[in-house]
Amino acid sequence: MFLHKLKLLHFRNYEQQELSFNARINIFKGNNGQGKTNLLEAIYYLAVSRSFRTNYDQELVHWNKNDFFLKGNFQKGEDFYAVESAYQGFSKKFKIKVNGAEVKRSDFIYQFPVVVFSPDDLLLIKEGPAGRRRFLNLEGSRLIPSYYRKLKDYQKVLQQRNRLLKEKRSNFFNRDLFEPWDRALVSLGSSIIKQRISLLKNLEAQAQVFFEQLSGYKEQLSLNYVSSVTMADLSEKTEELFWDQLNQGRGEELKRGYTLIGPHLDDFLILINNYEAKKYASQGQQRAAALALKMGEVNLFCQARRESPIVLLDDVFSEFDPERRLQLLNFLRQREGQSFITTAAPFDKQGLQEGEFAIFSVYKGKINHEGARVNPGKNAPAEKNVASIQPKFDH
Amino acid sequence: MSYPQTLEKLVESLCRFPGIGPKTAQRLAFFLLARPREEVVSIARAMVEAKDKLFFCSNCGCLTEIEPCALCRDSRRDRGLICVVQEPRDVLVLERTGQYHGLYHVLHGALSPLDGLGPEELRLPHLFSRIKENNVREVIIATNPNVEGDATAAFIARLVKPLGVTVTRIAFGLPVGGDLEYADDLTLSRALEGRREM
Ligand SMILES: [Zn+2]
Repeated sequence: MFLHKLKLLHFRNYEQQELSFNARINIFKGNNGQGKTNLLEAIYYLAVSRSFRTNYDQELVHWNKNDFFLKGNFQKGEDFYAVESAYQGFSKKFKIKVNGAEVKRSDFIYQFPVVVFSPDDLLLIKEGPAGRRRFLNLEGSRLIPSYYRKLKDYQKVLQQRNRLLKEKRSNFFNRDLFEPWDRALVSLGSSIIKQRISLLKNLEAQAQVFFEQLSGYKEQLSLNYVSSVTMADLSEKTEELFWDQLNQGRGEELKRGYTLIGPHLDDFLILINNYEAKKYASQGQQRAAALALKMGEVNLFCQARRESPIVLLDDVFSEFDPERRLQLLNFLRQREGQSFITTAAPFDKQGLQEGEFAIFSVYKGKINHEGARVNPGKNAPAEKNVASIQPKFDH
Repeated sequence: MSYPQTLEKLVESLCRFPGIGPKTAQRLAFFLLARPREEVVSIARAMVEAKDKLFFCSNCGCLTEIEPCALCRDSRRDRGLICVVQEPRDVLVLERTGQYHGLYHVLHGALSPLDGLGPEELRLPHLFSRIKENNVREVIIATNPNVEGDATAAFIARLVKPLGVTVTRIAFGLPVGGDLEYADDLTLSRALEGRREM
């Protein structure tokens, strides 16, 4: 998938900006605070209709304006999509149009796959299990068709069951009342655990390849699912184990008033050469591992959706040594899709060929294309004459 | 410009209907004002009358104006068959098919600890005594296909089966006249679960 052209109006610190991109690698140079991350955010927002930094659309509006507007020309295979996003600050109204026809926000999500990596992703390794569960749930929802629905149902069952446990706390236990919720918890929970285990196995295989490349074939990355259901695996046994352990923990649950077992308490370990990365790896190794997880996700996307996602790398290059930088650049060159990279440090082309990259400089909310010629990709789209939702701004 | 007070009160009242916003309420208000007085009176009377005369059958929970309801009285209906539904309107939906000739049990909800709905609130003890006292041979569970509806179905099945009664759950699946390829995953998996031998 490619983004050929982008137009920003009143988005973050951009008043007005139009850009044409290279179909392979686009590099944005500039000091911090000039708008590099804002640009990646605009691309992400256009593709999935939400931000990776905030849940509030209002924060995306230029500081002295009321509305923002984004327009991008995407290409998927042989098809072209003009995507427009418009947000009105006064009414808090949001609109998306694809090729001139309005679409619902909920129908739009995951149509245009994008993977973003920013320094914050290091928290995946450094912090507690909640962030890793969120990662699994997000990837599961994007890659496995039934995952999201099961997760929603599981969360509902969990809430209902916790309420029941609170009501009955220090009271008698009524098996009849608990049985239907216990069954649902075990059946949905086991299914989620199994989907996560196989997702993690696939991700491990993909991330491993990238991690080896990045570390020069010296280190091994592994991902181990750690379930609150002891001995849970991909077999039929898991339901039984879950059921037995749920019943064994009954007394403690009634005392505490909430569910103490299930995928909502699970985690996964990130190991480098069989040592837990969180405790034993260097900062550099941790960064490489976090990036490997994301690049593994990119490859999984290619497999599952037969679509090469757009990759957004925010401020990654400055964090790696020259050797790893070269490995990362090679990975981006070899993959099929388009990449966008920001960097505050001077950019070393390291063998990038004419035509496979473009460099832009970002300064105070203005972007200038510099150096290499922009390669518009094959069959760049002719602008179709469609009704636009672009607001009429006075300049 | 603001409305005369009477009109404002009417619009506000109409706004309380589900799915009616201020704009539609205003349209309905002006519609009523444009109709002859007798017609408006008969609409208002219909509302009050329905409210006064209709209640839930103490036996099955259906909406009725006689006790027990017409369905419970009807001697041609199969008394060995009880269909369990969540809402009174579900009875009307099933009756429209003309395919079902047993009795009903309306729960007025589904098991939901979060909403304070337990077996007593759903009059499930009454359902179990109906089953025991009337020699019921099959209970068809038609609660909604979601987490709460499924839990309710499981709860009933577990307690009714030991009585030697057949318990069935209505199948959920593909809309008739629809194409398989347009069905979503969830609908398809439910349809697969509810498949039957041919
Ligand atoms: Zn009745």
